[in-house]
Amino acid sequence: MKANGDGRRIGFYICHCGSNIAATVDVAAVANHVAGLSGVAVSRHYAFMCSQPGQDMIARDIREERLDRVVVAACSPMMHELTFRNACQGAGLNRYLFQMANVREQCAWVHADRPAATEKAKSLARAAVARVAHQRPLEAATIPVNPDTLVIGGGIAGIQAALDLAEAGREVWLVERESTIGGNMARFDKTFPTLDCASCILTPKMVSVGHRKNVHILTQSQVEQVSGFAGSFEARVRKKARYVSDQCTACQECEKVCPVEVPNAFDLLLKKRKAIHKAFPQAVPNTYLIDKQERPPCREACPIGQEAAGYVALIGQGRFAEAAELIRMRNPLPVVCGRVCYHPCEAECNRGFVDEPVAIQHLKRFALDWQEKHSGGIPAPPPPTERRPEKVAIVGSGPAGLACAHDLATRGYRPTVFERDVVLGGMLALGIPRYRLPRERLLQDIDFIRRMGVEFRTGVEVGRDVTIGQLRKEGYKAFFVAAGAHVGVPLDVPGERLAGVMQGVEFLRRHALGIPPAVGRNVAVVGGGNTAVDAARTVLREGAEHVTILYRRTRAEMPAVEHEIADAEAEGVRFAYLRAPLEVLGEDGRVSGLRCVEMELGEPDASGRRRPVPVPGSEHTLSFDTVLVAIGQSPDLSLLGGEGLKLDRRGTLEANGETFATSVPGVFGGGDVVFGPATVIAAMGAGKRAAEAIDKYLRGEPLTDFHTHAVPTQIRRGESFRPHPYAPPYTQTPKRPRQAMPKLPAPDRAQGWEEVELGFTEEQAVAEAQRCLHCGVCVDCYQCVKACQPGAVDHAMKDEVLDLKVGQVLVTTGYDLFDPRRMAQYGYGRLDNVVTSLEFERMLASTGPTGGRLALKNGEEPRAVAIVHCVGSRDENYHRYCSRVCCMYALKFAHLVHDRTRAAVYEFYIDMRAYGKGYEEFYGRVLAEGVNVIRGKVAEVFAAPDAPPGEGHLIVRAEDTLLGKQREIPVDMVILCCALEPAQGIEALRRTLHLSQSPDGFLLERHPKLDPTGTASDGIFVAGCAQGPKDIPDTVAQASAAASRMLGLIARGEIAVDPIKARVEPELCGGCRICNNVCPYNAIRWLEDEKVAEVLDAVCKGCGTCVAACPAGAITGLGFSDEQIYAEIDGLLGTPEAASRVPTTLEARP
Amino acid sequence: MKPGELSRGESELRAAFLAEVERIPGGDRLRRCIQCGTCSGSCPVSREMDVQPRQLVGYFRAGDLETILRSRTIWLCVSCYACTTRCPAGIKVTDLIYALKRMALDRRVQARDLPIYVLSEEFVRVVGRYGRNHELRLLARYLLRTDPWRLLAMVPLGWKLLLARRLQWRARRVEDLAGLRRIIARAERMEEIYVREATRFEGTVGYGALSERAVAARGAA
Amino acid sequence: MIYGYYPGCSLEGASRPYDRSLRFVMTALGHELKELRDWNCCGATMYMSVKETVALSLSARNLALAERNGNTLVTPCSACYTMLLKTQRCMKELPGLRRQVDEALAEAGLSYRLGVQVRHPLDVIVNDIGVEAVARKAKRRLEGLRIAPYYGCQIVRPGPAFDDPDWPTSMDDLFGALGAECVYYPDRVRCCGGMLMTTDPKVGEELTQNVLDCAIRNGAQVVATTCPLCQMNLETLQARAHAREGAIPVVFFTQLLGLALGASGTEMDLHHSLVPLGARLEELAGAPS
Repeated sequence: MKANGDGRRIGFYICHCGSNIAATVDVAAVANHVAGLSGVAVSRHYAFMCSQPGQDMIARDIREERLDRVVVAACSPMMHELTFRNACQGAGLNRYLFQMANVREQCAWVHADRPAATEKAKSLARAAVARVAHQRPLEAATIPVNPDTLVIGGGIAGIQAALDLAEAGREVWLVERESTIGGNMARFDKTFPTLDCASCILTPKMVSVGHRKNVHILTQSQVEQVSGFAGSFEARVRKKARYVSDQCTACQECEKVCPVEVPNAFDLLLKKRKAIHKAFPQAVPNTYLIDKQERPPCREACPIGQEAAGYVALIGQGRFAEAAELIRMRNPLPVVCGRVCYHPCEAECNRGFVDEPVAIQHLKRFALDWQEKHSGGIPAPPPPTERRPEKVAIVGSGPAGLACAHDLATRGYRPTVFERDVVLGGMLALGIPRYRLPRERLLQDIDFIRRMGVEFRTGVEVGRDVTIGQLRKEGYKAFFVAAGAHVGVPLDVPGERLAGVMQGVEFLRRHALGIPPAVGRNVAVVGGGNTAVDAARTVLREGAEHVTILYRRTRAEMPAVEHEIADAEAEGVRFAYLRAPLEVLGEDGRVSGLRCVEMELGEPDASGRRRPVPVPGSEHTLSFDTVLVAIGQSPDLSLLGGEGLKLDRRGTLEANGETFATSVPGVFGGGDVVFGPATVIAAMGAGKRAAEAIDKYLRGEPLTDFHTHAVPTQIRRGESFRPHPYAPPYTQTPKRPRQAMPKLPAPDRAQGWEEVELGFTEEQAVAEAQRCLHCGVCVDCYQCVKACQPGAVDHAMKDEVLDLKVGQVLVTTGYDLFDPRRMAQYGYGRLDNVVTSLEFERMLASTGPTGGRLALKNGEEPRAVAIVHCVGSRDENYHRYCSRVCCMYALKFAHLVHDRTRAAVYEFYIDMRAYGKGYEEFYGRVLAEGVNVIRGKVAEVFAAPDAPPGEGHLIVRAEDTLLGKQREIPVDMVILCCALEPAQGIEALRRTLHLSQSPDGFLLERHPKLDPTGTASDGIFVAGCAQGPKDIPDTVAQASAAASRMLGLIARGEIAVDPIKARVEPELCGGCRICNNVCPYNAIRWLEDEKVAEVLDAVCKGCGTCVAACPAGAITGLGFSDEQIYAEIDGLLGTPEAASRVPTTLEARP
Repeated sequence: MKPGELSRGESELRAAFLAEVERIPGGDRLRRCIQCGTCSGSCPVSREMDVQPRQLVGYFRAGDLETILRSRTIWLCVSCYACTTRCPAGIKVTDLIYALKRMALDRRVQARDLPIYVLSEEFVRVVGRYGRNHELRLLARYLLRTDPWRLLAMVPLGWKLLLARRLQWRARRVEDLAGLRRIIARAERMEEIYVREATRFEGTVGYGALSERAVAARGAA
Repeated sequence: MIYGYYPGCSLEGASRPYDRSLRFVMTALGHELKELRDWNCCGATMYMSVKETVALSLSARNLALAERNGNTLVTPCSACYTMLLKTQRCMKELPGLRRQVDEALAEAGLSYRLGVQVRHPLDVIVNDIGVEAVARKAKRRLEGLRIAPYYGCQIVRPGPAFDDPDWPTSMDDLFGALGAECVYYPDRVRCCGGMLMTTDPKVGEELTQNVLDCAIRNGAQVVATTCPLCQMNLETLQARAHAREGAIPVVFFTQLLGLALGASGTEMDLHHSLVPLGARLEELAGAPS
């Protein structure tokens, strides 16, 4: 082996490790064998190489024997590589000229056959010797350590560590997923074995960590990604919006006025809380937060984004005045909407998945009627926040125009509305019959808008009486054209000109204006929209004998609102479906009837509705004396055309869909005139959006990022949208039928004009409102905003993303409880009064659901309680590990039950584990108190056979293993001491941090004994139950230990970066970039100009992936060069010329 | 006896038992028993048993299979598997009891007229004869041998069943009865050889040998 | 689809109603049961306690035969179900044992490649066909009938089976979807005593009585079973001279299912019950024909 060891002076040392190695490996033989290898100057064996004498031996040899390489065959490098490297360095030998051979874990411990083990040890030694010969001195670079620290998880462990670090004057970021720090310990009542109250010892710590200037608590936050390396990490944290700022004084006023109640997760859903809440009274930070989840679909679906769920919730509490105020806040035409809105909100209502949607529109009408009746009529409009001088002209006083005027007024403008007709309201006045929308109702809304400072000019038609040009001269700066669509679309069939043929819109219009045209006794209405139905019902009221609606599709396809159709039917309107007129027949110039054809439904057309096709030979004649045509409307732009406004193909005004700007600067358009006939609420939406656009335009701002609500194309609802995580599934929500709207009896209405729908009674309204599921928890009623003196509530708050720079990371994410539903034999979730340990803790706590009283579901005190150990622990079917704390807290429970009730306590255990200071004594004390301990795992829990679930008591069945006897013990309550599991979400965090986990799923510490707080990744530590189940004392100790470890590094100020890294030989790099993709740490940078890859020493962890991947062999691992590895292999195999052979691929190397 | 040794009889029993245990998937798990009593607690008949299911492992550990084989326990097991599904150590208790039953019968620990034994014997006979079970015949023969009076008491019930067309008079034979019998014969022979070999294994106290044998048995494929 | 069918010995004898009703139900649900040709006894619990290798070889023969046509074998008898599954498992996990069984099978020119999937009809009906589908096909609702679904031991244990070993709900879901009320009672998986009824009547009868009492006390009008032995034990005990008051009929779940799917009480052999059917079931079953 000349080539190999030539000229080297290698020192070899094999360790007995007491008898650990020596017992199985003949260390002397190994030493002799190695002594014979070339280049080996010294070969010794010694009892404990890691001991001081052992290290001194190495140092001495290095000096006296002039060693230039050292090999130690002993335990795993994980244990002592560092020890020996330091020893070498101490003696002046470069620490990387040392190699370790593992002859303990990988040899002595795993073999029984001594000779064989010895042989194996020899080859392991040979390999190390052969390798070390090729090792080169390496110098470790050092980088400065960022003294700030990131602590993930705000339980007792995180709090303790944060305090320790803060004490030392360091900056700490404490990230907590929940809304308060304190973790599970905050839920406890008392703590074993000393029985001091958990809050009494925890809350002071919470408060002081909260007050530290240098501890930055981030609640409702999660770490999304972490990059970098020990000494300088970068962490991205997402902080969920709290909707309440730090000005909050926790005065509780908001909580009082919040109408929404949901179960409190902190109390394991045993207690209710409001949508605006605090997890528990002592929460830190002591700030309220709003549980605002996804927006309720009702609001999303509303073109003006009305807070439907908000006022519904208020009505449900009988707070009608507040409800009405809330409606008026956003809605320009509340009274109108309460009556004629076609309520898209109800179509999306999640209650529909339970039974029927909530009657949102009827509730809105109720609130406004109530306000008018009981709070002195319509309130005065709120004064605008500012005054805007610019004059704005609005063309048309329909819903779009009015909405625009209203919003401009709230923004401080005093717009002028031009209406060509003598009455205001556009289609609201001229299209919708009085029995649906009484005039005086409409005027209430218009009058409200007038009082906001809007000027109305009726009888002025823009384009004829005055032009936009003239108005500009009058100083008008912006225009909103919302002239509507008042021209009926002709049937265009022969005979349409005959007397007695009339457009439905025209008929309604003249009727509304008080100049009703004469109609006959037998009227046909052609069309299926709302206009058709309105016309029909109006004609009926005009005294026609027979009114028939002809529609070419079926009832299912009719565009008219369902309940309007139903009302029409009730009033006696006839319907002829699948019928289309081919010709209007006449006698001496007057209509005599219609020649019709029957239709049938064919393939769906563009609108998705099935296209009607004529049935051959089905032509027939129907006789009528009047025909009203209501098959569609289009805008009348003949006059506005002169203003140079562009029209689009459909003959409607052209306007940008986003900004509503027309082809002429300063002129905007919206409503039917742009979109064609649509709904009142849609027109209002357009009006509001236009108002914002005009405001932006006048302020000279770009027409982008609008705030007015726009209905999303896809609204999430149904199963994809649970009202909230704690809500029962729709199928399990108790059904409650929708309240029916009281109406005038049909016969009476057909004559009269008075309103058909009479409105809800208060009882009805409240009952109906209480059907709401409170989707999204917070329903935007803004009562909290009003209630908050400091003005801390901000419903517009957004989530934040913080990028933190820290030197080290501590993971203290704690644990979750095992879900006992998985063990059906214990009946949890099926039987009442079977509770988990954590639920019981809350039951004991004075801040808990029962205020510390021990009570059953029915409120009574239990007569006997069973405490079941090892639920999900020590069980092959669930968790094999022992959860370590259960025995003790179970004893604590036993004591507290004994202490607070007169109930008999039965404690079922397998093995009582009372290790730890004062624990056994506590066990003794509890025994002395007369608790019945039974050794035996509970087999099953069931309701006393003759009592249905929930009533009667429970029976616990188990073997008393000390007696070998079956026991069936009747109890009122069963407490399941559930296993501790790694907190959910640990897996994701584990990946972000590149940590590994032990088989039990908890995070893996660097060494089970010697480094329980470190992890395999430098600079990342773990403490508390994230590392494994443990009690509070152990957790606190481990947390402090971790803190001091981190302070150590901070104190040193700089950290050595292991020089074992990948290196690219630029001239060999083929630029294939494979390495860029394989590197798990993104440590390889691509130099665009040089077209070569470069390794960032600071980031590289020396894993070697790229080395193996590089097809050009251009990447070498320092300390892992090919020749070193080949030498090692040859040494292992005992190949004669070990490592003298260098692989051909490398010969080319410089 | 020297330390670590067992009585002749016991070590033989143990050997046979270990041999049986190997034939239970995961049988060696019985070493993991933590004596928690879930099996006994879950057992619907345990209150009738003189030795609790949990104690089977206990006696085995104590080197006293004799007591188990003489116990009423193994004959009371209704193989409802409640113990097996719940055992936190994953022990196949029911299968272990089957094994013990076989041993007991094999070694004539019980009197020949033990009802369950008679029933099994008759069952084997009927199946051997027809390839299928014939309820009427099985029950009749069983009662004749154990408790003829009860047979009489059964008559009314039988009559009712007959009227309900739920009584099968003539037994149905399997077509390939010859083949079936060959299968049975062959299997029986292997069973005997197996047990005989097993008893030649020198067991020691404790059951360290258990898993090794089990592994061997598995590896045998 | 076509399922291989292994009735088992009892279904030729005292449990013929199970066989008839099951066949009807599967046809009504649009599936076919193809009886396994020349099947033999599975060995049951009896054989297991005498000669294991023989017991396993016996049921292996059935699996071997089944493997020749199709890969699923539906078997209604709990004992057969468990026995066949157990054979499957033992042969899979213990190569040594498998070799022996194969040797035995070879005697009849057979061999088994572990290719058969053993299913229980309840599993097939609830998980393949689905309760909604069954409800849709139902001709008649079981409203007003209070059923105690009795699962017994061997279809949910030792498992892993198709339902929870401690609190199975397949039958509850099934009958629930058909409008019946399934009573809550703890003993739904408590053993009926099995063979003890024969070998140790005192103990056996006690166990059976417990199950019955539990069902009756919780207001059941009828017990629905999935197992011939359970049915036998529960029914005959009540048919005895010294039977207690308030006996309730014990039927196979397929008999009730058959009623819902339009069969007459006669077709479902309900009129042969040894205990009076009770008003509601009487009504559903109709007059004997």
